Amino acid sequence: MRLAHLWDQSRCIACGACIAACNAANYRSSTGENKTWGWLRSNIKRIAVEKGPRPMLLLVQCQHCENAPCVTVCPTGASYRDVDGLVKINPALCIGCKYCMVACPYEARWLDEETGLPMKCMGEECLSRVKAGLRPVCVEVCPAGARAFGDIDDPTSEISRRLARSRYVRLLEEKGTSPKYFVVVGP
Amino acid sequence: AAQQTAQKTAAEEVKAPVICGACGAACGLIFVKRGDRMYLLPNLEHPQPGMCFRPASALQLWNHPLRLKKPLKRVGNRGEGKFQEVDWDTALNEIAQKLRDIVNKYGPESVAFTRHDVHSWILPFIASVLGTPNVVGHEGTCHNAPTVARGFVLGAGGPPSVDPDYENATYILLVGRNLDAAMGLVRQVAKARERGVKIVVVDPRAPNLAYSSVEWVPIIPGTDTAFVLSLINVIITRGLYDAAFLKKYTNAPFLIKPDGKPLTEKDLGGEGSAYLVYDNATKSLVPHDKAQDPALDYEGVVQTPQGEVRVKTAFKLLAERAAKYPPEEAEKITGVPAADIRRIAVEFATARGVAEDGWYAAKNGNELDLYMAILILNALVGNIDKRGGLCFQESAKYPNAVTTAAGKVVTIFQVCDVGITAQELPAPKAQRVDKVAYPLATSVFDALLDAIITEKPYPIKALFIVGTAPFTRDVNTEKLKQALSKLELVVAIDILPQDHVDWCDYVLPDLMFLERGEMGTMKWSLHAGVVYSEKVLDPPPGVDARNAFWALMEIIRRAFPEKAAAVGYTEKYADPHAFEEYEEAIKKAVIISLANAWNLDPARLEEELKAKGFYVFKKKSYEARPYKTPLGTPSGKVEIYALRALQYNRDPLPDWRPPLYKVPSAPDEFYLVNGKDQIISAHMVMVKNAKWIVDRTVWMNPVDAERLGVKDGDVVELEGLDNGFKAKAVVKVTNRVRPGVLFTYAMAGGRTSRLLTGEYEFLREGVNPEWFASGKLEPVSGSAATNASVRVRRL
Repeated sequence: MRLAHLWDQSRCIACGACIAACNAANYRSSTGENKTWGWLRSNIKRIAVEKGPRPMLLLVQCQHCENAPCVTVCPTGASYRDVDGLVKINPALCIGCKYCMVACPYEARWLDEETGLPMKCMGEECLSRVKAGLRPVCVEVCPAGARAFGDIDDPTSEISRRLARSRYVRLLEEKGTSPKYFVVVGP
Repeated sequence: AAQQTAQKTAAEEVKAPVICGACGAACGLIFVKRGDRMYLLPNLEHPQPGMCFRPASALQLWNHPLRLKKPLKRVGNRGEGKFQEVDWDTALNEIAQKLRDIVNKYGPESVAFTRHDVHSWILPFIASVLGTPNVVGHEGTCHNAPTVARGFVLGAGGPPSVDPDYENATYILLVGRNLDAAMGLVRQVAKARERGVKIVVVDPRAPNLAYSSVEWVPIIPGTDTAFVLSLINVIITRGLYDAAFLKKYTNAPFLIKPDGKPLTEKDLGGEGSAYLVYDNATKSLVPHDKAQDPALDYEGVVQTPQGEVRVKTAFKLLAERAAKYPPEEAEKITGVPAADIRRIAVEFATARGVAEDGWYAAKNGNELDLYMAILILNALVGNIDKRGGLCFQESAKYPNAVTTAAGKVVTIFQVCDVGITAQELPAPKAQRVDKVAYPLATSVFDALLDAIITEKPYPIKALFIVGTAPFTRDVNTEKLKQALSKLELVVAIDILPQDHVDWCDYVLPDLMFLERGEMGTMKWSLHAGVVYSEKVLDPPPGVDARNAFWALMEIIRRAFPEKAAAVGYTEKYADPHAFEEYEEAIKKAVIISLANAWNLDPARLEEELKAKGFYVFKKKSYEARPYKTPLGTPSGKVEIYALRALQYNRDPLPDWRPPLYKVPSAPDEFYLVNGKDQIISAHMVMVKNAKWIVDRTVWMNPVDAERLGVKDGDVVELEGLDNGFKAKAVVKVTNRVRPGVLFTYAMAGGRTSRLLTGEYEFLREGVNPEWFASGKLEPVSGSAATNASVRVRRL
């Protein structure tokens, strides 16, 4: 089993539902600042390309890499790749060294100053939802049909079916991370 | 441990369907409580499910630190924003005392209400109990123009009485509309994308929607009508129109006399009043419904008892009008390359496209022509009320709270007996102040301001501002201040300190949408349906907010107990909990009315609504209007030549007219356009998430920035070319706006209330685009120019 995220750039309308829903569900609508990113407390960040030939957007979050640098550098085993294919943090083992934050080429982790722990997708509530057979909140709320989540080893899953009929890229593949965040760029 | 938590929260999951109140679209949501976490998800069974940034941040609105917590009484001057907290009884009694004095002195019509979507169903009831016709909403800076156009061309009403069938469309043309709501439409577009729909977005700035796979056509502001007339020109000159549809279902073959009026049987000395056409089959003039093959391009001389009259078909007049805008001419006006205009016209016609018919449309003060042209464009390709076309919404037969007829106001309690003893109310004698100048408009707030200042047609002395934000909503900021200063009583009912709060004598804290029950017509779905929610939360600790409906009824009861008693409202409802029975009675009356209209069991309907949050009475059936049922136009046809416009001395054909503000002409002069996205509403831009998600800068194209030597993040001064108003703004250099144009979000920035403190000071960043608006309105439609032009000075 290899759970993965799909984000369809050709469909995303930048409505912000996924970003704010992540804050509501995983961080209890916290109004504190995510100082690492200069952003709200959400596991999804938005990057806009403002000076190219046309407006472009990229949503970035944990890529759940198969060869995750955050897992490699973690001295305690707190960051680990679970049997479901998701990269997770065991807070009981985390010593707050932040190596994982530095090692991630996607800068997908941010620091919760109150606990001193790194945060990332998936948040607690999304993990609990996935365990209960529900979709992560970012996927559940998306009105544009721009997101999917599921097992890429299962050819009948929605994500597998969508990947089979789409053109997609993976971010910073040249880093050897083997990321599982699929950016669809068109049919 | 994690596994145990998961099981525990899964077991404790609570779900309730709610109507989103974050904007006016009323999308379907589910309130979720899993363990100690609360959040909102879309109601995916609903025909029109959410969601977007706004409801996703709704819990931040619920326990917002700046929420109005207790009634406030002004202690400084109006505009100073100095208040003391008072208890509810004190506030209501003092307001009631002032209201009684004003009504006794100037009459009930001297009291006005202004509103947005929230509470809009019940406010006419409240106003009728008091006896004033003056409930004046936001439409003058929203959808007046397309609403009047829909009346002219399709005999239809306000949005969304007509809307594209997005789900089944093959080619969607969005002119100035960006699907910032409703999100159910975005879901429909997602389905249409599966089948390869093409979407064209015509807008001077790239809205969020343009991040997705669309063709963005960056047009010069205020020139959309020239663009659409040019599309019409290409479609007509290339013969790409649906002639069969035009002949049978539109007034295109009607013969028009030199005075602009249609030729009827009466003109020929006959008895009937049928509209005449030239029948190619019989080579004669016959009533339209008798013609076998009505000519679209006939021109000739007709013998009448009064002499010879030269007539031309409406279609020919339209063709002549559109001939003013061949693509090369339109390119000069719009900045859109002629080749693109030609290509889009051909694509639109051959794909039988659909062009969106306007919602949040007041931008340049020339939009009545634009939406007439857009509706005609849909008719030209015969795509009216067809699958994938511009469709009429099925009516839900949702009752009004009050209906005025024959000098009487009938309340819903007379229509449905739910145990409330109520009487008919006398209809207000006075005409609504804005209707005097703009009879066809839904509402014109600017006309209310004029009435306050001039006391014509009669004095307005009290204003209740209910769940709406005039300073960010309306043009003429200085006139608004003048009017607010002149009133004898100003009361705001709201959740957060919008800018007008500083100008009010009393401020009453309202419930937010998760804290109250609500029902309404299902909007932005072509099906006939009703939406429903029950309260899922109480206000957070320390917030003594109460339902605006209760507060207003209490004010009226305390001022005029006999008026309140006429609708069965007595002192027993002074307790807000007891009032829930009164609200419940109204809800029951609506349910009975709907159950009667659709032949359903009321108890069953209520049960379904509680369980699902919606009920669909009738699915959309295509090809009904005008094919089987005549339209509400004078001819019953689609009127590509608007006969109703003649009654108002208005051009019956669309034309391009310049915007109602000075057009930039120097290198440092720019258009300043404004708009929304799925992240904007007057309230949701005030939550903390909005600090990062909502942009409060002014956008400038890289070409302009380079020419002016302005860099990303620089501060510039903007000076309104029409009103000289000056303010500073931070520039964002971005390709999301065309050269020569600046963009800033409406409602998001430049907030001024003194009650905005601490970490919410971020709302003072940026500018409010309304500050620079010329304040001019379009005649007939009362649609304001919210866009403006400014001079940019580097600081």
